[in-house]
Amino acid sequence: MRIGALRLSELDRGGAVEETASRAGALTRRGLLGGGAVLAAGLAAPAAEAQGSDEDILNYALALEYLQAAFYTEAERLGALRGAFAEQARVVGAHERAHVTALRDALGGAAIRRPRFDFGGVTEDQPAFRRTAVAFEDLGTAAYKDQAPRIRSRAYLAAALRIHSVEARHAAWIRRLAGVVPAPDAFDEPLPRRRVLRVVADTGFVTSAPRTSAFGSPRFTG
Amino acid sequence: MRRFHALSQRNAEPARVTVELVAEVGPGTSRTGFLERAVVAGGALVSGGVLLAGLPRLAASAPSPEQDVKTLNFVLLIEGLQARFYAEALRRAQLSGETREFAGRVGEHERVHLGALRDLLGRDARSLPEFDLGDTVSDPRRFRASAAAIEEIGLAAYNGQATNLTPDALAEAAKIASVEARHASWARGLAGSTPAPRASDLAASEDRSRESLARRGLLERP
Amino acid sequence: MSRRAYASLGAVLCALGVVVVASSSAHREPPSPLGLPEPPPPAFRIPVPRPLAPDRDLARWAPVRRATTARRAPGADQAAVARVDARTPEGTTNIVQVAGRARRAGGRLWVRARLAVLPNGTSGWVPRRSLGGYTQVRTRLLVERRALRARLFRGGHVVLTAPIGIGTDEHPTPVGRFYVRNRLTSYRSPAYGPLAFGTSARSPVLTDWPAGGYVGIHGTDRPERLPGRVSHGCVRMRNADIRRLGRLMPVGTPVIVR
Repeated sequence: MRIGALRLSELDRGGAVEETASRAGALTRRGLLGGGAVLAAGLAAPAAEAQGSDEDILNYALALEYLQAAFYTEAERLGALRGAFAEQARVVGAHERAHVTALRDALGGAAIRRPRFDFGGVTEDQPAFRRTAVAFEDLGTAAYKDQAPRIRSRAYLAAALRIHSVEARHAAWIRRLAGVVPAPDAFDEPLPRRRVLRVVADTGFVTSAPRTSAFGSPRFTG
Repeated sequence: MRRFHALSQRNAEPARVTVELVAEVGPGTSRTGFLERAVVAGGALVSGGVLLAGLPRLAASAPSPEQDVKTLNFVLLIEGLQARFYAEALRRAQLSGETREFAGRVGEHERVHLGALRDLLGRDARSLPEFDLGDTVSDPRRFRASAAAIEEIGLAAYNGQATNLTPDALAEAAKIASVEARHASWARGLAGSTPAPRASDLAASEDRSRESLARRGLLERP
Repeated sequence: MSRRAYASLGAVLCALGVVVVASSSAHREPPSPLGLPEPPPPAFRIPVPRPLAPDRDLARWAPVRRATTARRAPGADQAAVARVDARTPEGTTNIVQVAGRARRAGGRLWVRARLAVLPNGTSGWVPRRSLGGYTQVRTRLLVERRALRARLFRGGHVVLTAPIGIGTDEHPTPVGRFYVRNRLTSYRSPAYGPLAFGTSARSPVLTDWPAGGYVGIHGTDRPERLPGRVSHGCVRMRNADIRRLGRLMPVGTPVIVR
């Protein structure tokens, strides 16, 4: 069976995501932390029984929202998008930031911290932005859909469903702008968490903090 | 009674090639047909083909197989209206260009949804009323505005009702809900308004959904 | 047939029609609501989406992920301006301040980076791929040589003012636009106080100084000499001031010396 909602490889004809993916691989080989390892490590940490708790699910959603919010916010700040794409990034970015705020507030002290991101140029180049945004929104929709039936609290579910459909709207919006069919199939399929995390990891967008502090003696001019 | 993954199998096989993201959805562990269990739980539903209306109304709102059947019957009504709306529009509204493509694709989706829900419900499916579409499909402009409104109402109904479903039924309804959200986004874009007007979508009760449809003359008030 | 007969036939047909419609709708339509429960209220509210605040004080930096060559213009065939290392002499990850927007050349993205090389103020184009992710800062340190004071701005507002020591006339603190490259702590050099920031500025005269003669911003063990023109080019602060600056000023902060 095929996953109808997500066709990264198809959307990625220009190779932007593939490029960052192979780049993440190269960095990993060279001993730097590659890709979504950080994200996956942060999320895979809970014990088997804790995984799948409502709190864990909300944190997983928060991780994806952090990623999306950072992506659109950076694209807007860099100002490389024009016309309808700039408008889409502005509106959708504000939505994703609102989702981040809501999930962080709901989680309180249990909320995971915002990871560091390296979008490797896709926020400052319109064609790369377009491909990545389509993939992100289809991915977000598929991820929420996979988690929704696992949420125990119906009040959390009520909130999550309202975000789920907003992600689907975003997906259709950017697809239409990108000239791809906004609603390709009669049914959107869910995507399991490990697959979502692998897709995120392969992009290399989640990165480690550079080391900018040290303990050595200064040799500045004094 | 059909098993649930009947829904996904109804996606037209995509002609495009998906290299990386082909999901292996094996015989699901949690995907036992919820309606089969519904049958066991509420034997009366099946044995005599007794109409749902004849059953005592459930006071509790906790998800149950019986409530799943009612809820799916409600969204069946909405899908029926949508399918009819697009079929009429394609005949009468003199559509062209992207608007025609939209009506063709979305109409096909709604027909598939309708058929899938009918298959799922089997003998428990309620019959559909005659819908009076009025002047909603009299010309392309009215069609686009009406399509946006109808998709919004449909989405809010799914978002409102999905919380009342058992997890297995929810998993299936969510596959349709996000497609309705894509339709709403596309329709709004075609009508010249913003595809995603808020960060959190609306969720409507049955009464409110019926009222919204009645106000547009699309459904008779009981 | 008389007119009256037509009329009565019409009436009968109409009535039949009504009956047919009514009975068909009664037969087909179960108009009764299904009595579905109200949806539960969501556990949390999603706030109203807010646009990004316009912020003219934003500056952007990126770590150098792999050593590269900065060029005069975007493109691998352009003249080289300077070598850009992945490490600073202090062993931290090298960073560059990024200015303006990326440009595409030869199928790759290039960005203009301010470089920590002589002559001070040099910038060049580096492949986007040689850099890591961007970080934005809202802070800016203004070093005023004549007034012998430093002021830290955040979002356009002054959040710290401190008297400073700067370079002598023989070894002046260079004027220009620079940025904070790294931060050193827990060392045993009392002359530098408890904390030292490294900047992208280099002394134009002390080129043979160990580790390149980079200008630092640090504490001191001779606070009585501040404010004054006392250093080899570094910016010295009282230890209490440098500790406060250490809490307020992130790496990547632009440093403007005038």
